[in-house]
Amino acid sequence: MASRIGGCRRPFLLLFLLSLASQTAFSWKKDEFRNCNQTPFCKRARSRKPGYCTLIADQVSISDGLLTAKLIPRPIPNQAEGEEDHQQIAKPLLLSVAIYQGGILRLKIDEDPTLDPPKTRFQVPEVVVSEFDETMLWLSRVSTETLDGDSAPSSVVYLSDGYEAVLRHDPFELYVRDKSSKSRLVSLNSHQLFDFEELRVKNEGEEWEERFKGHTDIRPYGPQSISFDVSFYGAEFVSGLPEHATSLALKPTKGPGADDSEPYRLFNLDVFEYLHESPFGLYGSIPLMIALGKSGKTSGFFWLNSAEMQIDVLAEGWNADSGLSLPSDQKRIDTLWMSEAGIVDAFFFAGAGPKDVVSQYTAVTGKPAMPQHFATAYHQCRWNYRDEEDVENVDAKFDEHDIPYDVLWLDIEHTDGKRYMTWDSVMFPHPEEMQKKLAAKGRHMVTIVDPHIKRDDNYYIHKEASEKGYYVKDSSGKDFDGWCWPGSSSYLDVLSPEVRSWFSDKFGFDSYKGSTPSLYIWNDMNEPSVFNGPEISMPRDALHFGGVEHRELHNAYGYFYHMATSNGLVKRGDGKDRPFVLSRAFFAGTQRFGSVWTGDNTADWDHLRASVPMILTLGLSGISFSGADVGGFFGNPEPELLVRWYQLGAFYPFFRAHAHQDTKRREPWLFGERNTKLIRQAIHVRYMLLPYFYTVFRESNTTGLPIMRPLWMEFPSDEATFNNDEAFMVGSSLLVQGIYTERAKHVSVYLPGKELWYDLLSGSQYKGSQTHKLVALEDRIPAFQRAGTIIPRKDRYRRSSTQMVNDPYTLVIALNSSRAAEGELYIDDGKSFEFLQGAYIHRRFVFSNGKLTSLDLTPNNKKSKFTSQTVIERIILLGYSPGPKNALIKPGNEKVEVGLGPLVFETGLGSSSLVVTIRKPSLPVDKDWTVELV
Amino acid sequence: MKVAFFLSIAILSLLASWSSSSPSVSFLGIAPQDENYFRKETIKCRNGSRKFTKAQLNDDFCDCLDGTDEPGTSACPEGKFYCRNVGHLPTSLYSSMVNDGICDCCDGSDEYDGKVKCRNTCWEAGKKARDKLQKLIDMYREGVTIRKREVEQAKEAISKDKAELSVLKAEEKSLDKLVNQLKVRKEQIEKAEGKEQLEKDNEDRSNADVEENFETTEASGKEDSLTSEDDVIGLVEQISIFQDESKSEHEDTNVAEDGSESIEDMSKEEIGRLVASRWTGERTGQVEETGSGADSNEGKDGSLNKPSDGDSKTNDPDADKIREEYKESTARLSSAQERISSLTEKLKHDLGVDGEFYTLYGQCFETKQDKYVYKICPFKEAVQEEGQYHKTQLGYWEKFEESYSAMLFSNGAGCWNGPRRSIKVKLRCGLKTELTDVDEPSRCEYLAVLSTPLGCLDGKLKVIVHKHQRSSLLLLTLHCLTGKWGSQQELEGKLEMLQKEKPEGHDEL
Repeated sequence: MASRIGGCRRPFLLLFLLSLASQTAFSWKKDEFRNCNQTPFCKRARSRKPGYCTLIADQVSISDGLLTAKLIPRPIPNQAEGEEDHQQIAKPLLLSVAIYQGGILRLKIDEDPTLDPPKTRFQVPEVVVSEFDETMLWLSRVSTETLDGDSAPSSVVYLSDGYEAVLRHDPFELYVRDKSSKSRLVSLNSHQLFDFEELRVKNEGEEWEERFKGHTDIRPYGPQSISFDVSFYGAEFVSGLPEHATSLALKPTKGPGADDSEPYRLFNLDVFEYLHESPFGLYGSIPLMIALGKSGKTSGFFWLNSAEMQIDVLAEGWNADSGLSLPSDQKRIDTLWMSEAGIVDAFFFAGAGPKDVVSQYTAVTGKPAMPQHFATAYHQCRWNYRDEEDVENVDAKFDEHDIPYDVLWLDIEHTDGKRYMTWDSVMFPHPEEMQKKLAAKGRHMVTIVDPHIKRDDNYYIHKEASEKGYYVKDSSGKDFDGWCWPGSSSYLDVLSPEVRSWFSDKFGFDSYKGSTPSLYIWNDMNEPSVFNGPEISMPRDALHFGGVEHRELHNAYGYFYHMATSNGLVKRGDGKDRPFVLSRAFFAGTQRFGSVWTGDNTADWDHLRASVPMILTLGLSGISFSGADVGGFFGNPEPELLVRWYQLGAFYPFFRAHAHQDTKRREPWLFGERNTKLIRQAIHVRYMLLPYFYTVFRESNTTGLPIMRPLWMEFPSDEATFNNDEAFMVGSSLLVQGIYTERAKHVSVYLPGKELWYDLLSGSQYKGSQTHKLVALEDRIPAFQRAGTIIPRKDRYRRSSTQMVNDPYTLVIALNSSRAAEGELYIDDGKSFEFLQGAYIHRRFVFSNGKLTSLDLTPNNKKSKFTSQTVIERIILLGYSPGPKNALIKPGNEKVEVGLGPLVFETGLGSSSLVVTIRKPSLPVDKDWTVELV
Repeated sequence: MKVAFFLSIAILSLLASWSSSSPSVSFLGIAPQDENYFRKETIKCRNGSRKFTKAQLNDDFCDCLDGTDEPGTSACPEGKFYCRNVGHLPTSLYSSMVNDGICDCCDGSDEYDGKVKCRNTCWEAGKKARDKLQKLIDMYREGVTIRKREVEQAKEAISKDKAELSVLKAEEKSLDKLVNQLKVRKEQIEKAEGKEQLEKDNEDRSNADVEENFETTEASGKEDSLTSEDDVIGLVEQISIFQDESKSEHEDTNVAEDGSESIEDMSKEEIGRLVASRWTGERTGQVEETGSGADSNEGKDGSLNKPSDGDSKTNDPDADKIREEYKESTARLSSAQERISSLTEKLKHDLGVDGEFYTLYGQCFETKQDKYVYKICPFKEAVQEEGQYHKTQLGYWEKFEESYSAMLFSNGAGCWNGPRRSIKVKLRCGLKTELTDVDEPSRCEYLAVLSTPLGCLDGKLKVIVHKHQRSSLLLLTLHCLTGKWGSQQELEGKLEMLQKEKPEGHDEL
């Protein structure tokens, strides 16, 4: 009876709601985010013409081991009358150049603190590692030369054996050049676009507020942006600037052919249903650019600044009407860097190869942490595993289907009303017991802990945080109150070391009730995401510790939160257990605290494809431990897409399946027997390769190199690899090519270099420097072992990687044209920090002249030791013609049988053809030995 | 007699295989019936790919891709490990579970490398399983009997209905004729009475409509005020969005498309909720569901009950009589038609192979879980109720699935960014018909269990009995082997039981 009224009104409401839903649910809200034109500093900087900057370097000298100068306006009488807009500064700026070991230059430009600026500009703390400071070279000498056509001199200092740094006084310009050829590598302000807005005191009547979508930013210090141009010489393309869902080689955003594009934006945002192929900023920001030129010559530029940044890659000819002349014999890529606040704290990396630049960058921001071994295996996640019964069932199903997995994840619904570090008492009444059950099978659990804190006085975290004044303040000085999952929320001010330390303690077992040692953490929404804030984030005029404005800190907020969480897990384990914390937001240096993933992607083929350049870019920027949600977060993948995603995801450094709560369940066994088998095989491939992955993780931990690498990182002189971001290397020995289309019949793969490649699963040989058109197989994507390498494997699958510890190894030797190969194996306890004291096994395997030798790579003076009873049960030789019947092991002179055997131990994978196998050599993995074929 | 003979053979062969093999390491993980396959010097991989020597059997190195050579170790990923589980049923494990530090077989035989000690729990586990099986059998037996009875009753009822239907149809025909005759006469009389009254009737009727409308307004107002706090928030939000929309419409601006301008008019909290709802889809769909389902039904009912003729009065006794007769026979006709349509509706459904689901027709079954009450009405609909007024349609009757072992209701209320709700109700054997379990394994895809004697199928009973016999047989063998004889009587009882339960064929084993 009651329905008459509703009956006529509701359909209308319903219609409206549906149209609203279709808008919000299926489209990226472009107008919710600012574009460059709506961002005054970006609009201003972008509209300037070359030659705008009229600063010159004055009082250039060496002091305290640095090259220093003051930037002052060029004293030309009539300049002010010119119709053109020119750089104005009221007070001289301070410039310093420091040189560090390994070809690194650091440039700082800031206001002079002795001239009473209204406020100290923000320098991002705790990103540059302390070890880096110790590598500064104390400059004592500067030489002077006057360049052709210049009236003023230039100051030249040593950078590295091959390079020197040049500070041109008038016009002000800084560049790195080759010592002998004098050709340039990287330069700053060559187009004289440098601009530095000094802090001012507001004059009466001045309008400083900025408004966007109903939000007002009071901007108490007025405009304070910085911009400048950076040029990369001899560059074929530039890469870097995560996080964007774009190609690995960054396309031009301004100039001929790129007229309508936005610049690449670096502003950490929670972007709902992000698009692939868009320069808009996503969840994390790293202002690092790498330029690659012919013959692999590489340079890099990193601006340590956590304010909003916009970067243009300028298309050739962008400055056609500029009167400036630059060295024209070198191909060049120009870029324009714009930031809303902060200082110039920029690093120039001289290369010379791609690996060197990454190594230089990670010398500054730190090497990636060594992960927990379990974290390198497969993770099963869903928003949400509803209750303990659900967890138990999913866990049991993995066993039932003989599919290994290591970690089960709980998303926000596991908490008591989104109060993190609490449990929903109905759904999860026995969290400890639940974790212990998983732990009994060697499995771990991860729970989500986000930075927004529910404003509820009965919630212990909120109570303490508000009492102690640990929240970010709004511009009026009150605790900032924003809306997120729990409703009204405040945000911990993690810029403060005190707040971080306090928050770290909350991860202790006594504090986080229901947590056990097998529980690890996931940080989400730490951009920070604020549902009712400007651009779904925090107002820029919110205030942090030390009076720092949110605009200055924004891109590093998530970084400090991740840091606090990670340190919390270290504290929890008394410094004996490596942390595992996954974060969505990131900044330069995040690699020291854990892994990241590419956020809320979508279950479509484009996102599958986009995941590869995204992860590659993260890897180039130090974050080697990253991945994309397998299957795609939003939407329901067709079984074929899901299978292909597993096949690709098995090679991501971070391998996790995840899904939105509104999607259909998609655990591996839900798509029929055939698909279950295919997914099992994909996961098996990862588990088989875990020893190799872990060895590459260790390489990353010591060198900073990515796990997943662009082909050009391994083959920098092969130009055919420059545009390739659909295939990638895992470490230096494995090449993987994804399949990104539905019902693909064929897949083309380019194999670089001169040497052969061996199909990872069948052993078939393919020639290098060629594109091969292969039949697309249902059960795998193309993957190849590089000739001349040795890959360690484990061929026995278990419930989880934990049970594989004592299982024997297989070595796969892929011979090159000299019938030789080399490879490494790194093993440690997989969880503690003892490896830092030398408690690890690190072997180099060298095969040549029919003999395999195992060499010890551990240092002699180690304080701690790690031993293992594990043996090598099998040695497989690819590219070796059958013949020898025996192999002789030394020491001991034991003869073992050589025969033919399968390459991989799974029906359907690989081929039926057999390969030369040394059967049961039972070689101790931690000892020196040789095996010779006789 | 034949059965007893077979049984003794089976016991003997089991005895033989056990006594001959138990200590041999190389036969680890091999099922007794397969042992002969491995007795040769050269053994073939089962997939025919290659051969291996006896020394390579269980030597902890995988030679056959299919795992033939390593049934007792973890060396071949595709190997299977056979646990004898004496005292319980034997099982076959994935080789990945051999020596992985976790006890999987109840006899602990999968963990033999000394890293972990497994207790033999087969005896307890076996007993538990057998007891459970026995209970299940008992229940099934009773259930099968009830089911048979119900099938008979259903058959009877269906034929009764069919008979009634044909009687009714005949009645309808004659009534129809009568009504038509009376109608003609009535119309003649009324024509004489003139138009005036007719107009008056019409007026009355429209007044009645207005009144009715007014009543419903009141009623719905009352309902709204009774909604829970959650709903109120939801409603407020919807209304505020609604208002925003209407406002921008009134202003006739072109901002409605991007919705951004209207966002500016919302409170901070509303914006927060709105943005959150993109991920959760919460509340954007629920209000809609409360009404829409109920609407159509009630609307239909209303129109049916509406009186169709006025109460005009005249003094002509003949006319009154005709009217009376007409009214009476019309009522009889419509009641007959109603009955016909309800019977036809009922009988047109697929009521099962033997019409057994007739008994569920028109019934509803409820269960409460947390704050929700789930209500399943076979052949009609399935709903989820939260409190008294918040109803979500989980689906409308679609069909039986999985050869009548499940009922499917589909096309329920829509889900944000997802499918329309649906629910599958699995039928389990039980002595009473009741809804025992509801789950939502995938968002908006529900799964429920209805236990009912109709789920007690004879075929299934046979399978369970078989299983029970197998374990009892093994148990018996165990008694023989270990000398743990029960009393003579007990053993005889068991044998008797086995013989009694023996079904015709032995194929299923």
